[in-house]
Amino acid sequence: MEKATVVIIGGGATGVGILRDLSMRGVDALLIEKRDMVNGASSRYHGLLHSGARYAVKDQEAAKECIIENTILRKIGTSCVEATEGLFVRLDGDDPEFEQKWVAGCAASGIKAIQISPEEARRIEPNLSPKLVAAYRVPDAAIDGFRMSWQNVASAKRYGGRVKTYTEAVGVVVENGVVKGINVRDYFTKEEYVIGCDMLVNAAGPWCGFVSELAGLEVNVKPSKGTLIAFNQRIASRVVNRLRKPADGDIFVPHGSITILGTSSITIPDPEDTSTSWDEVENLMKTGVQVFERLRDYRILRVFAGSRPLYSASGDTGRNASRGFVILDHEDEGLKGMMTICGGKFTTYRLMAEKLCDKLCPKLGNHEKCRTAEEALVPEVPEAEKKAARKYFPAFGVNLAATRLGTERFGNVVKRMEEKPETREVICECENVTLAELEEIAALPTSHIISDVRRRTRLGMGTCQGNFCALRSAAALSRFDNLEASKDPLGQMKGFLQARWKGIRPVMAGKTLRETEMTRGLYELVFNVNGGRPE
Amino acid sequence: MSKSDVVVIGSGFAGLIAALVSAEKNKKVTLLSYGAGTFPLNSGVVDIMGYDEKGAAVASPAQALATVPAEHPYKKIGIPSVQDAVKFFLDFTKKEGLPFVGSLDKQQWIVTAVGTMKPTCLVPESMQGNQCFDAAEIVLVGVKDLKDYYVDLVAKTLPDWLGKDKKYSTFTLDSHITGGRDLTTLDVARWMDTEKGFNDAVSQLKSQAGSGKVFIVPAILGTKGNEVYTKLVAALGCPVVETTGMPPSTNGLRVRDMLLDALRKHGVEVVENIKAHGSVVDGKICKAVVAGGEVRDKKYEADSFILATGGFYSGGITMRDFGEANEVVFGLPVEADCVEERWVNEQLFSAEKQTFAKAGVRTDASLRAVDEAGNCVLENVYVVGRNLSGYDFCFEHSGNGVALSSAYKAAMA
Repeated sequence: MEKATVVIIGGGATGVGILRDLSMRGVDALLIEKRDMVNGASSRYHGLLHSGARYAVKDQEAAKECIIENTILRKIGTSCVEATEGLFVRLDGDDPEFEQKWVAGCAASGIKAIQISPEEARRIEPNLSPKLVAAYRVPDAAIDGFRMSWQNVASAKRYGGRVKTYTEAVGVVVENGVVKGINVRDYFTKEEYVIGCDMLVNAAGPWCGFVSELAGLEVNVKPSKGTLIAFNQRIASRVVNRLRKPADGDIFVPHGSITILGTSSITIPDPEDTSTSWDEVENLMKTGVQVFERLRDYRILRVFAGSRPLYSASGDTGRNASRGFVILDHEDEGLKGMMTICGGKFTTYRLMAEKLCDKLCPKLGNHEKCRTAEEALVPEVPEAEKKAARKYFPAFGVNLAATRLGTERFGNVVKRMEEKPETREVICECENVTLAELEEIAALPTSHIISDVRRRTRLGMGTCQGNFCALRSAAALSRFDNLEASKDPLGQMKGFLQARWKGIRPVMAGKTLRETEMTRGLYELVFNVNGGRPE
Repeated sequence: MSKSDVVVIGSGFAGLIAALVSAEKNKKVTLLSYGAGTFPLNSGVVDIMGYDEKGAAVASPAQALATVPAEHPYKKIGIPSVQDAVKFFLDFTKKEGLPFVGSLDKQQWIVTAVGTMKPTCLVPESMQGNQCFDAAEIVLVGVKDLKDYYVDLVAKTLPDWLGKDKKYSTFTLDSHITGGRDLTTLDVARWMDTEKGFNDAVSQLKSQAGSGKVFIVPAILGTKGNEVYTKLVAALGCPVVETTGMPPSTNGLRVRDMLLDALRKHGVEVVENIKAHGSVVDGKICKAVVAGGEVRDKKYEADSFILATGGFYSGGITMRDFGEANEVVFGLPVEADCVEERWVNEQLFSAEKQTFAKAGVRTDASLRAVDEAGNCVLENVYVVGRNLSGYDFCFEHSGNGVALSSAYKAAMA
């Protein structure tokens, strides 16, 4: 029987943070994820690395945690963080009293908020509304949720940590009130088997409730859906927050060549529900257009949604929900060997992992200290190697690939391009993904379908939304017999575009209509992927 | 600026055909051009009707035309005009050195760059995919370093369409083009235009030729006309079939060049890089269209106008905010069923027509725009091609067919 000392359920930021922390403390840990890594809330959000300023009025404890973690993540995850800084802007009509409270809150929480004049704000961000009356610079940043999570996995692996994707928890093995293992099911083969363990950590985010049910426990998680809009340009070079009581649609985060506007908050029963509607989009646009008046002229790339794992404490336990996250030791309820971590924010994932491991490790007789704040997630690719790679790479792509791939894989990719010139082909022009990189990622045991490769490489996530790379990646992946993707390349290609379509449907107006006519013209007409055969 | 008989707005397939047919009627024609329409994207073949209302493959386009719903442009154009337009196009292409073949009675099937086949009606000689059905062996030719054409993908898919009883082999042609950038079919077609390149290709492919074999190649057989195709078939002694492919579409651009050459011969005034954005109207008569060039606006006067500015893709129809569809030159009423639940289908590649694709200008049987009550809006403005409402050209595979026949009819009016 397959075994691990600790099995962690959930491949989001919390899970990978715990995997890394445990592995660095010398604990044998295995993470299981029911689909691909980072497929839930950790990638379905605006990608803001909070400075904490957003919480400066309502929740200063959370604000303090944010600014500390913000500083740590910049240090350990240099290639995941784009240090854009952030602006808080108050518009004419927004409550000036809130501004005063906010300034005081930032000071009290240790967040440096530097006031600049409205003219200066509009000079550095010319698209901002002229109705701006006050502006502050804060240390917000943009963070790549996919990359941060994968780099946690890479770091954990160096210390023996393991992951299994497409492996779903379907039951908990309990003997005499003690957890002995977990029943899992392989998504592709449907095979069920048991993984033995001493401790089980439920880090399934908004799915925490379902996982705890497997052990007959109740964890009161309320998935709260947030909807976000991605635009095809950098509307601002900095994160832009509305300086008012936090509400829907008042955060803009630039990422690479795009901007994400978020977000809304609707309590939903099923975290699998990532549907979005015209109403949600219009709601965000209505607010967004107050900050950037020409917002409706930008092309919307897509709309997406994810669920926050909001924890709602039952009254009598008296746990403080305002801290944002909670750690439950189910031994308190008579089940030994299982803990649940729930709630929290992406920005504080590392701290959450640290707190959980501080509680868990002593149970295993392990008293190592947490070191996750000190060591970089991955070693950086040396400049000399990047310089050498420029011979084969599109110039703009070297840095992108180096940060995505990390030292070892970057080296493999450069070598492949050197030896096999045909792998220099750029498969995805928007994100500068070469065939060599695609092949490197496709060969990994965690790659099954095109979207798995997409999440690792950003293939198809740029401004063309898969129009051109859907064909190229389907063709390239069809050569890998180990992949599901090779069995039905045209089905994969359609599936890839359909996944993009899901985010395009609720915004089919403006320039998005134009883009869709092209997609259909190419794939339905030129390639006839939809129509039937002659008799 | 002297007044024209006809001003055609738009230089996609519909616009160029409208200008050509008008010029052949000895009209004084001005063509306002902004961009190349969908020529660089579409395959340069003329789809008339590939799939019927239910999505079933159509065997005879002529029969399918008889069953289209009332809202469909073909219903307004009428079958006789479609027949005349097809005849006109076949004669014209024969005369101009890029002969098309096909008839309304029998669908043709052409090979795509992903190894599927696509129904269409009129094709250049180089794309006659029907020849593959009877072949004993298919030789799939790829080109070294060519982007967006993956011969192994075609080899994996095509047997599903052509039958697994045939023999399939692959061969990679080396164009020896180096320089470090990705190659497109257009690059390779230019190489094939040269005598050296052509001879090189023949010497590489010759060994693969044989009786019962058909070569399938990406669209690389020259940038103009059918000369390269004819020479290659003669040199190899067996059929050669070009596929469709990603942009730039070599064949689409061949058709564009052929049409523009003909317009020049007819003395059509082609004004390039000018975007029409308004009109001067007196009652139900349009006097002029207003178009902006690099420096300033100009008015183009004519007795009649043909609107061929395209749909959402080309910008002839816009919808900045949902529900507010707009025709940009004349402000003609746009028919768009903007109900959220119906506007887009669940699936991108759907078993039903997409409602948004059907948005456009509704016309009477003479292709003049009508308002909701059915009254003609402008008596001397004709609407053609993707400006028209009531059809989903992707679902049906009918885009260039509607463009050709509506443009022909409008020009003959």
